[in-house]
Amino acid sequence: MIDHYTWSGGAEAMLRFGPDQGPVVVAAMPLLEEANRTRAFVVTMLRRLAQLGIACALPDVPGQGESLVPLETLSILQMQEAFAAGVAHVAANRSCYALSVRSGALLDALSPLSGRWHLAPQDGPDLLRELARIKGIKPSNAEPTDLWWFADGTDWTEDADPPVEIAGNLISTDLLTELTARSRLAHAEDSDTPVRVVRLEGDPRPADAHFAGMPLWRCAEPDNDRSLAALLADDIADWIHACEG
Amino acid sequence: MHPGNAGEVRETVRAVLRDVLGLGHRADAFDDATPLFGALPELDSMAVAGLLTELEDRLGILIEDDEVDGEMLESFGSLSRYAIDKSLK
Repeated sequence: MIDHYTWSGGAEAMLRFGPDQGPVVVAAMPLLEEANRTRAFVVTMLRRLAQLGIACALPDVPGQGESLVPLETLSILQMQEAFAAGVAHVAANRSCYALSVRSGALLDALSPLSGRWHLAPQDGPDLLRELARIKGIKPSNAEPTDLWWFADGTDWTEDADPPVEIAGNLISTDLLTELTARSRLAHAEDSDTPVRVVRLEGDPRPADAHFAGMPLWRCAEPDNDRSLAALLADDIADWIHACEG
Repeated sequence: MHPGNAGEVRETVRAVLRDVLGLGHRADAFDDATPLFGALPELDSMAVAGLLTELEDRLGILIEDDEVDGEMLESFGSLSRYAIDKSLK
């Protein structure tokens, strides 16, 4: 069903699946274009979880999906606040777990959660490097000032820099500045919370498990992988059952 | 584990091209002479950004953007040679 939650900036839509009781999974989509490429895949995972008896929610974070809030007015902190409001909306008297995909792992840090499950998480500096590349900027590692390629070069105490257009998205310099320093879990309030990191085969970085599949977030056109979605949903369900004891 | 020899690096490059550009089994037939940039309509500037980032992730390398030019992306052979030099040096 389609539900709504409110945060300090207004009301946003939220898809809900599964039972009214028991643990609930709240999904955090990646920032920017990758959200479009992975939405059908994430919804497939959530439907599978609901079939397994686990409730799920997919809140539209401001600036994403059906949201009417212009992306260029938003910071990551506001998106984190909105995601936390979405969690609070569904979490009354039940344990709540984040299912965060890619840079969505940056958004769940302010939410009180019983666990965080991260698929191929991407930190802020890695996303910023990719955005620079898409924009055609060539940041040099030898020149630290190049890290601030998105600033207009005027005194920072004066008016805010104008938003930067990257691949059709207008993005605030506040958000880009936050990416220079944001890493997932960096501001997590409850550092004892269990975290499970899952990556695709071919990604050699540390993970609790690797699964075979295509990185849909890289594909030029939105696509789906139902068998991978089912495997990942089963992994989440097993992990939640273990966490719940 | 990062790819440990030239053959593994080459197959990683093939897998990245297949995944990022959605080439499916077409990538299986790529050889050194297969042209890439300018010949594959899927390989636009946005896809190049994703391709380079995914190569960095899977090979554990850092690609300086001033190393990226038409020559490097000219063919499957040239891209593979770059990746092999970078990751096995």
